[in-house]
Amino acid sequence: MMFRVEVDNIKKNYGATEALRGVSMRVSEGEIFGVIGPDGAGKTSLFRILTTLILPDGGSAKVMGKDIVADYKQIRPIVGYMPGRFSLYQDLSVEENIDFFATLFGTTLQENYSLVEEIYSQIEPFRKRKAGALSGGMKQKLALCCALIHRPQVLFLDEPTTGVDPVSRKEFWYMLRRLKEQGLAIIVSTPYMDEATLCDRIALIRGGKFLKTETPQQIIADFDHPLFAVKASSMSPLLRQIRQIPQVLSCFAFGDTHHIVLKDKGIDSLQGKELLSTELERRGFTDVHINDIAPNIEDCYMYLETLNS
Amino acid sequence: MPVVMIVLFGFALSTELKNVKVGVYTPTDDIFTRKLIDRIGESEYFTIVFDAPDKEALDAAFLNNTIEVGMIFQDNFYSTISHDGRASVQILLDGTNMNIAQMAQFYLRNIIGTSVQELAQEVVMADPELSLNLPVEIKPTTSMLYNPQMKSSFNFVPGVMGMILTLVCSMMTSVSIVREKERGTMEVLLVSPVKPFLVILAKTIPYFVISALNLATTILLAIYLLQVPVSGSMLWVVMISLLYIMVSLSLGILVSTLVSTQQEAILISAMVFLMPTLLLSGMLFPIESMPVILQYVSYIIPARWYIDAMKALMIQGVSVKYCIDLVAILFAFLVAITSLSVYKYKDRL
Repeated sequence: MMFRVEVDNIKKNYGATEALRGVSMRVSEGEIFGVIGPDGAGKTSLFRILTTLILPDGGSAKVMGKDIVADYKQIRPIVGYMPGRFSLYQDLSVEENIDFFATLFGTTLQENYSLVEEIYSQIEPFRKRKAGALSGGMKQKLALCCALIHRPQVLFLDEPTTGVDPVSRKEFWYMLRRLKEQGLAIIVSTPYMDEATLCDRIALIRGGKFLKTETPQQIIADFDHPLFAVKASSMSPLLRQIRQIPQVLSCFAFGDTHHIVLKDKGIDSLQGKELLSTELERRGFTDVHINDIAPNIEDCYMYLETLNS
Repeated sequence: MPVVMIVLFGFALSTELKNVKVGVYTPTDDIFTRKLIDRIGESEYFTIVFDAPDKEALDAAFLNNTIEVGMIFQDNFYSTISHDGRASVQILLDGTNMNIAQMAQFYLRNIIGTSVQELAQEVVMADPELSLNLPVEIKPTTSMLYNPQMKSSFNFVPGVMGMILTLVCSMMTSVSIVREKERGTMEVLLVSPVKPFLVILAKTIPYFVISALNLATTILLAIYLLQVPVSGSMLWVVMISLLYIMVSLSLGILVSTLVSTQQEAILISAMVFLMPTLLLSGMLFPIESMPVILQYVSYIIPARWYIDAMKALMIQGVSVKYCIDLVAILFAFLVAITSLSVYKYKDRL
């Protein structure tokens, strides 16, 4: 079976900085592939390499079976790319932007209306408004519309939901799932861990390397250490003290609790709680609340990061 | 930058005259005229570059700008001066550059006035048999070619045209293309089937139109407001201006391929295009008075050649064949700059 996107051991350096240290992935038709990681992890570099905007320093990649270095001219018309920064003409209206990009690709809005209909219908009421005057969510919808106008085979979305309100984010992801049903391969990057479960498969990226590439469900299922959430009145000394307990693998602040991963995989939840409460009491914490919890993607990310550092 | 400017203005650029190219025509060759010509050539202001065999040759030298000042001595200069005690010399000046013309006239009259008695005495001493009634007098008459009313607008109109076109074409083009890079729209444009170089060419078209309109306004204002006559062929004035517009546009494109922020583009346009165009194109400061090194630098400034061509066509009113070399140089610039920017152009980020 042919993959829409095949990436093998891609490397990219900026001077002495290694932005990508050999990443590989496969993306099929009708799949949403998420690249999840913090800023500076190499997401944008990867996207720019795959959209033929910059050259890799090592490795190879194919989009729709075409080499990203040699056949870049054939790739450009068949991919849709939405950069992380809003990259449309702010001083043109919504309508003019769409017309402009349609003309650029030698097509019209009407021709591919079926693909963009759902998105376009949401921005249509504002079609006379200047793109620069749209809200964040609307801007992203317009950008998506422009990226889809030529019915691409692969869609690259670089942090499409960064800086967008939660409701618009939800709508955006809904639209992505609808597009996927039309057979598009969608590669999307995001720094938001909670969006990982909305992807079919995800790659956790850190420091230019994929920590793991799997379905989000499998990544969570693979997490086999005991995990606890701890709360007390004085949180920051608590964090320091927990990290000194020899049985603790890692501990991170996580909202209003600390998440603790224990080294011993065999410990059940009761034993774990007991171990932690005695250890913490011995260190002078009397008001701690300990709960065993199910891991989410962020726990997995932190865990994998600890293993790799 | 301030260092460069201080040095430039303090030493290199001066409105003083140096090495003005002089052509002479002496119908009757004699020792007196030769000595006088030597005197003029010895001064730092003038260099004798051409000894014309006849008056037509002198006129031709004027037309193709090999000389800037012409001197025509009277027939039988020496015998007239020895019999009548007075003779006349005609000084031809190039009215397209008023500064040079007026100063050259002043210095020439000075040199002639101070050296004539000395020379007469020398001649008499060397050959006592010659009869020379002292004191003698030489009467220079000046005629200002091309600009008899000595209007300074004749001088600056071609210069201003060069400057405006440089400004509009090079600066605005480069800034507008770089703005696409800065805003990130270039990223999206690149990931499209449109050939990126086509995108850039398309960006220059509006500026070509604006420049053409500017050109039309400038020429109309020059003719009707400043009463500068277009003595030469209007068609060629327009054609060469369009050629220069294309040269400037290609410079703008070149800059845009090299830099990535609007500020850089503006800085480069101002420092590399605008300043040299103002200072080194001969518009404000005569090129002949500059140090040799700056004269060489001025060769690589397209505006210099354009302004020369405009002066020749508009003010001198010569036919285009006298400035065909200028056209060729501008065309060479166009080819060179365009190929350089195509070579430098990246269709990636």
